[in-house]
Amino acid sequence: MDDRNDHGSESSGSGSHTGQSQSGTRTRIGLDVGTSKVVAARGDNVSPTTDSQLNAFFDVPYSALHEQGLKANRTPFYREDDRLIVYGDASEKFAHIFNANVRRPMAKGILNPSEPQATHVLETVLSTLVPVSRNPGELLAFSVPAAAPETGHELTYHEETIKRYLKGRGYTPLAVNEGLAVVLAELAKEGFTGIGISCGGGMCNVAISYLSIPSLTMSLAHGGDFIDASVGAVVNEPATRVKAIKEETLDLTREGGDKIDKALHIYYDKLIESLVEELGKAVQKTPRLPRNDQPMPIVLAGGTSKPHGFRDRFEKALRRRSWPFQIGEVRMASDPLTATARGALVAALAER
Amino acid sequence: MTAAARGTPTERYRRERPPVSRECGEELTRITDDIDDPVVKLRYLQSALNEEGDKSALVQLVPIAPARRAWYRLKGLRALDAVADADEEIAERTLAARQTARRVVVGASAAAMLFIPVLVAIVAWQVNRWRSDPERVASVGSSTEANATAIETTTAPLVVPQSTSLTTPPPAAEGPVNQAPVAEPLAAEDMGIVPSMIWLADRGPGWELYSNGLRIETAYTVKGTARDYRVQTRDGTLLPTRFNHPMGILFHTSESDLWPLEPGYESEVRKGSEALLRFVKREQAYNYVIDRFGRVYRIVDDDSRANHAGHGVWARGNEVYLDLNSAFLGVSFESRWEGGRTLPITRAQLIAGRNLTHYLRQRFAIAPEMCVTHGLASVSPKRGLIGYHLDWARGFPFEAFGLPDLYAQPLPSVALFGFNYDSEFLRTMGERWPGLIAAERQLADEARERAISLDQLRYERQANYRRWRAALPTPTAAESGLETPASQTADKRG
Repeated sequence: MDDRNDHGSESSGSGSHTGQSQSGTRTRIGLDVGTSKVVAARGDNVSPTTDSQLNAFFDVPYSALHEQGLKANRTPFYREDDRLIVYGDASEKFAHIFNANVRRPMAKGILNPSEPQATHVLETVLSTLVPVSRNPGELLAFSVPAAAPETGHELTYHEETIKRYLKGRGYTPLAVNEGLAVVLAELAKEGFTGIGISCGGGMCNVAISYLSIPSLTMSLAHGGDFIDASVGAVVNEPATRVKAIKEETLDLTREGGDKIDKALHIYYDKLIESLVEELGKAVQKTPRLPRNDQPMPIVLAGGTSKPHGFRDRFEKALRRRSWPFQIGEVRMASDPLTATARGALVAALAER
Repeated sequence: MTAAARGTPTERYRRERPPVSRECGEELTRITDDIDDPVVKLRYLQSALNEEGDKSALVQLVPIAPARRAWYRLKGLRALDAVADADEEIAERTLAARQTARRVVVGASAAAMLFIPVLVAIVAWQVNRWRSDPERVASVGSSTEANATAIETTTAPLVVPQSTSLTTPPPAAEGPVNQAPVAEPLAAEDMGIVPSMIWLADRGPGWELYSNGLRIETAYTVKGTARDYRVQTRDGTLLPTRFNHPMGILFHTSESDLWPLEPGYESEVRKGSEALLRFVKREQAYNYVIDRFGRVYRIVDDDSRANHAGHGVWARGNEVYLDLNSAFLGVSFESRWEGGRTLPITRAQLIAGRNLTHYLRQRFAIAPEMCVTHGLASVSPKRGLIGYHLDWARGFPFEAFGLPDLYAQPLPSVALFGFNYDSEFLRTMGERWPGLIAAERQLADEARERAISLDQLRYERQANYRRWRAALPTPTAAESGLETPASQTADKRG
């Protein structure tokens, strides 16, 4: 956080957020830095505490009246020149009020290069979830996407920016592949062998893991935002509104009802097909597939995988193709929204 | 597992690695079946797999599968003990697993002792067979993980079909980077792949070669004054941290003579470039120069400041940069601002410039909005005007460089410090660009809100500029003099 006037809720690191690990004094954190949401998990791996914040902001023109209103409502915001920047969960509410879209500090899984506010907003959002470490050098594991053809070298900048910020808050940052984090959270009984898939707002991440070793990682630079924007464009509605409908009412087991519902079905199918197609290509090309006789379990996580029926559609698309390994059970994560953060926490706790 | 696969924890949890062999995996799986706690299980696996990496090649030489499995089990047990020794709780939780594993190992060892003579005989027979029939070695060895990979690599077709070449890296058994390649989102003639990470692939006397194809000529490189600078915030606070690494890139044109790029002018073109390089070296004018054939010359080394930015101004978020010589790397294209535009650079320059930008951005974690042109940052403090130098004041191919269009961003020198422009500037530029318009609008809105005149606000802001600049460490003698406008300068710098 810098010295701009910030009326936010920076995490103090005390109270219910603070979990104690097995050694009694450490407070390790797992962080899912997603395009749409940032989720933090802390405590032990058996019953971690999780907390989240929307990774978005909405700016309104500065006026004393607006500022007073935001303060009175205890809305987190800061002032930047002649704009008031409302960030986190509250930004979506404002977007609804103004019938507009929230802005995102991240796009396609990494810092949004065309958004000048990106770094500051992301750091501000992170500050609400990550308290200054009470034990300097404490481990904090955070998720990073696999490099996609579209994101390439920008990933280095994204990762380094987050690392620098976390170091500044007293942590030793540890980057964990997002797909692998899903495996670490959900496939412990299978010896961390299987396929973890995280379908988030900006992208989908996949990791094929054998005994916790990532033998293949890949990402598709499409996710929930792609669906929201595409549907919004064809039905002439703001993506923020489409997102709200998607999260509240979408059921992929039933054929689409109204125009928005039908468009959502179409673009969900498109996303699933692209993901399976790209995974198939990646699997064909890699020389590193594990030679394992056991069927590979698959776990789906992330907000985009939440609608009822997503798992069924994905499994159908998956089983239509042939794979060089047996596909085992395809299941949803126990809590799709927090799986990545919980997996990162497992990695953080496992490090000495 | 390879040596490269071990290393920092960050690499372990994000970098693709070859999986361990099936036999090793199965033995480790059996051992971990008794461990309930995911954290303990993960810690154990990480420890065991690191240990496994040291000796797996040796184990794979053992010709009998049960013996190999026993060896893997023994190694797995040892790793389990190492995890348990460090933590009493873990020791207690894994007691059953370790006891089971120990029993198996003791049994396997006893069996092995009984059959040692047989084992020796079999090994001798195998060795004899390999010696007499070397062609079969590969097929015998192909049951191992390493040989399987080697065979895949050696038998792979040399020519990759074009349809896959955009997204597929050539398979590498190991190396510094195993990430997916980047297909450049550029024009059709830019087909091909580059790795998503960039590293020094080779070097020789006077050159360095990077993995993205960037070749840097280092024969002209000199060391200058070390970077040592501070950054201000928008409210004028001088941050206490002293920085010694670049945070941005400032793109220039060399403002040098350009001979026709045609056969018959080879000598003039070459001499012109050499004269430019000598000049830049003598004046320590830029960190890098890219000639018209796309050759990249490092002149002032990366850790040193070059005299390329004068009194330039740039800002990003809350950070304000007034010592651009120290905070920015100067990258100059051999070209010239002429007739209200930068003369077109060559395709070779564009590709080289983009590769250089990718390399510098990765090496110094430079933000995209910190890759800016001289024409956007240059000011004349004495006259209170922008556009003191105009190189790349328009037309820089931000998109082709994978960078945001900074011509659309409010110009910090105007929005923050109230710099203005004159009629000559407008005549040269023809029109204002969106970022300039946005900055002027911001300034006008603020003047209206504070009920003061725009001139008064500009005066205040320019006074701020002078005060803030005075608060910085004293500029070098080379910088203290005022520059002449670009259009009149005999200086070869842009």
